[in-house]
This record gives sequence, C-alpha cells and structure tokens, in this order.
Amino acid sequence: MKLFSVIGQYLILMSAVFTKPIRTRIFFKRVFEEIEQIGMDSIWIVSIVSVFMGAVLTLQVAINFTSPVIPQYLIGLSARDTFILEFSSTIICLILAGKVGSNIASEIGTMRITEQIDALEIMGVNSANYLILPKITAALISFPFLNLLSIILGIFGGYLIAVMTDVVTIYDYVYGLNYMFIPFYITYSLIKICVFSIIITSVSAFHGYYTFGGALEVGKSSTKAVVYSIILVLLFNLILTQLLLT
Amino acid sequence: MIEVKNVNKSFGEQLVLIDINAVFKPGKINMIIGRSGSGKTVLLKSVIGLHSPETGEILFDGREFIRANIKFKREIRKEIGMVFQGGALFTSQSVEDNIMFPLNLFTNMSKKEKIDRVNFCLDRVNIHNANKLFPSEISGGMQKRVAIARAMVLNPKYLFCDEPNSGLDPQTAILIDQLIHELTVEYNMTTIINTHDMNSIMQIADNIIFIFEGRKWWQGGREDIFYTDNTELNDFVFASELCKKIKKSNS
Repeated sequence: MKLFSVIGQYLILMSAVFTKPIRTRIFFKRVFEEIEQIGMDSIWIVSIVSVFMGAVLTLQVAINFTSPVIPQYLIGLSARDTFILEFSSTIICLILAGKVGSNIASEIGTMRITEQIDALEIMGVNSANYLILPKITAALISFPFLNLLSIILGIFGGYLIAVMTDVVTIYDYVYGLNYMFIPFYITYSLIKICVFSIIITSVSAFHGYYTFGGALEVGKSSTKAVVYSIILVLLFNLILTQLLLT
Repeated sequence: MIEVKNVNKSFGEQLVLIDINAVFKPGKINMIIGRSGSGKTVLLKSVIGLHSPETGEILFDGREFIRANIKFKREIRKEIGMVFQGGALFTSQSVEDNIMFPLNLFTNMSKKEKIDRVNFCLDRVNIHNANKLFPSEISGGMQKRVAIARAMVLNPKYLFCDEPNSGLDPQTAILIDQLIHELTVEYNMTTIINTHDMNSIMQIADNIIFIFEGRKWWQGGREDIFYTDNTELNDFVFASELCKKIKKSNS
C-alpha cells in the first residue's frame, strides 16, 4: 500500500511540476543556471571516468583476445559498442545519480526544512514548478551532450592504449570502430539517457521536496534519492532495451 | 480583515485545533500566544494555507480561502507578506535579489523601478549598503529585517510573522517590534504575529488570542492581561519572576 501511496504522491508532485511557469524569462534564466550546475559541473567527472574506462576496457579486451582466430579489430568494435550501448548511457547515469541526484535532493530538502519552500508558496509561487521544472529541463538538455562526450572520450581512451601500447594496432582499432556500425545504437543511447535524466532529477527532487525534520532527514533524503534513482535507472534500462533492441 | 470560523485541525488521531473562532482587524497587531505545542503555529499556518483544516472557514476580506482552488489561493497569497521564524531568505541569492524576487515574478516594473523599490524597502527597515551581501554574511537581526523588507515589497494587505523575535537580543527584538508596528499602522495591514515573547506582547499587541491545548482560551487587549482571572493565561504570562513583580507593582 505504501508503494502506491508514494507513486500517487510522486504523480501529484509531477502534475504540479509540469505546468506553465509564471514568467518564461525567469524560467529560462533558471534553466541556464541549472545547466551550469547539472551539466557543466559534471563534465569533468564524465570525462575522467570515460577516458580511463575506455583505456581499461580496451586493455582488458585485448589481453583476453589471445586466440589467433579472433580478429584484432574486434577490440575497437567492442569498445565502441560497449560505450554506445551501455557505458555512456547507463553507467554514466548511475554516476550522475550519485552526483546530481544527491545534490538536487539535498538542495531542495534544505530549502524545505529552512521554510524557503513555504516562503515561495506564501508568495503565490508554484514552488514545485519553480524549483523542479528547470532542473528536469536542464538535465534533458545537458545529459545527451554528456552521453556523446562520454562515447567520444571512451573511444579516445581506447585509442590512447592503441597508440601507447602494442596490445592492438591503431589500424585494427580504428577499423573495428568503423566495422558494422549501426547508427540506431546512438539513437537508442540518446533515448535511454533522456529517460534516465527525467528519472534522476524528478526522483531526487521528489525526495528533497518531501523532506521533513532537520539536517539528518536531508541526509536521509539524499541517500534515498540516489538509491531509488539507481534502481529505477536499472529497471528502465531493462525495459527500454527490451522495447528498442529486440 | 481576516475571519477564522469554527476551525478544527488534527494530525492523525490528535486534535490540534478545536473550534477556533477569531477576527483579525486591519491596522491592528493581532498576537497569537500560547505555550509550545499549544497549536498556535498550526493556527497561523492554517490561516495562510500551509495546513488544511478539516472543518471551518477562513475569510480574507470575505473571500473563502480553505476551499478555494489553488489558483485563487495563489491570488490571495500575493496579498500576503510572511516573516518566517528563521527568516527563510533564499540562501543562494543576495539581499537585493531576495527582496526583488516577488517583484520579478509579479510585476512588470523596469529594472530601475525594481532597484528603487528594493532600496526603499531596505531603507525602511534601516539596512544600508547590504544589497550585494548574501544571507550568510549578515547577522540574525539583519536577516529578520531583510525578511520584513521582502514581505512588504509588494505592499501586502496581510502580514504574518512567526516568532519574529526568536533568537534575537532584547534590543534588536524591540527594534523589530517597533518596525512591525510602524508598518502595520502606515500601510493599514492586518498583522498577525505568533509569539511567546512577553516584551512584544506588552509593547505592540492590540489584540491577543491565547491558545491553550488547541482551544481559544482567552482574547483581549494588552491591558486586560494584567487583570484577568484566567488561571492558565496567568500561569503562562506570569511564569517569570520579572512578570510576577510587574503584576504585583501594577496591582
């Protein structure tokens, strides 16, 4: 029963979020501020993780492809497909759920316990719309860019391995990158990250918005936001893969 | 004028407000007093719509508020100024931006007009050269005054203050009281203050409502408080030795 109650509460909040903003100009200003906080501030973590994971993945695949019957270009192909299909959408979103999700939940949760949300409501402002819609919009805009950045940097990490070591030649790696490329995989990856961006921001905002108590509860909301975001991202990853790839 | 009629509010099984009736007149300072946990904050939050009473009516100049749709409630709320206990200033915004916030959302004023209005309000609450400071960079007393400036920036008809003196030294508390009193008279606002600060009560209260165990137990002016035979009110008001001495000397 509690699950249905929480889902109902979430849907009620979302119905308040997805309404027309009071002032379009202020809304867009807030969206740009959030793009900076949610998107731009995440570039470094996405870049570092992608480059290193691309390098490590290429090394591991190369080391395990010892059989002479397995062509070397499959190393490049596996790096490409791993990043496009799974890493740059799902794994990056799990990382962003920790970084962005906890940030959103703690920010909104703190606003709740310090009565800033009540202050907005008393002024006649739809606080859910004012606080949450710019975050969802900003994530919808910036996450796909992070996704593409991660794909490029992940493949680049593998390329660095090809350049710096002799586990695979540059020619084989680049040939593998181009071999049997299916453009729809990029679309699939972008669709996934768009859905995940809505899940992460809305679920985290939901937990922050319904924080009651003190600093301890803000911490708990933040943790819950990350945990539930991750679970839902994994669940929707399965659903979307089933729907789009089979 | 704000009218509260037969308001009842409970949380689960616990009755917090029981059949509350009150009238808050414009140009007067109305104080809701009572012990911690008596229900005064719930009453204040019910009047402004942050809690929804189960039964009863709350009328803002004859306009029913509790059962109004959210759009109409937001229209009424634009006429309300609220000073929260902790100030509730937006910590990510400067003093100027905090006060300008309602102007940005609800007016079509030019940038210059908005800045002029902000400076007027800051001047009115005796704050100077603090426009660009953030809430964390100013004192508690200043935060309260900025909160008052933000509350009055749209010339509200109704002003609500939730324990405006909590956490302030006596001298700053007196300044805040005087400021609220001046603004109430100047703008003919209906002011409702939730407090248990006896200094405030004795200084500026025009109409006092004493809440005891969720019921309106007593109502009267600040002079009446010395001569009432209401036991619970006397226990509350004259809890400190200082107040006991004042009563003794008065009588």
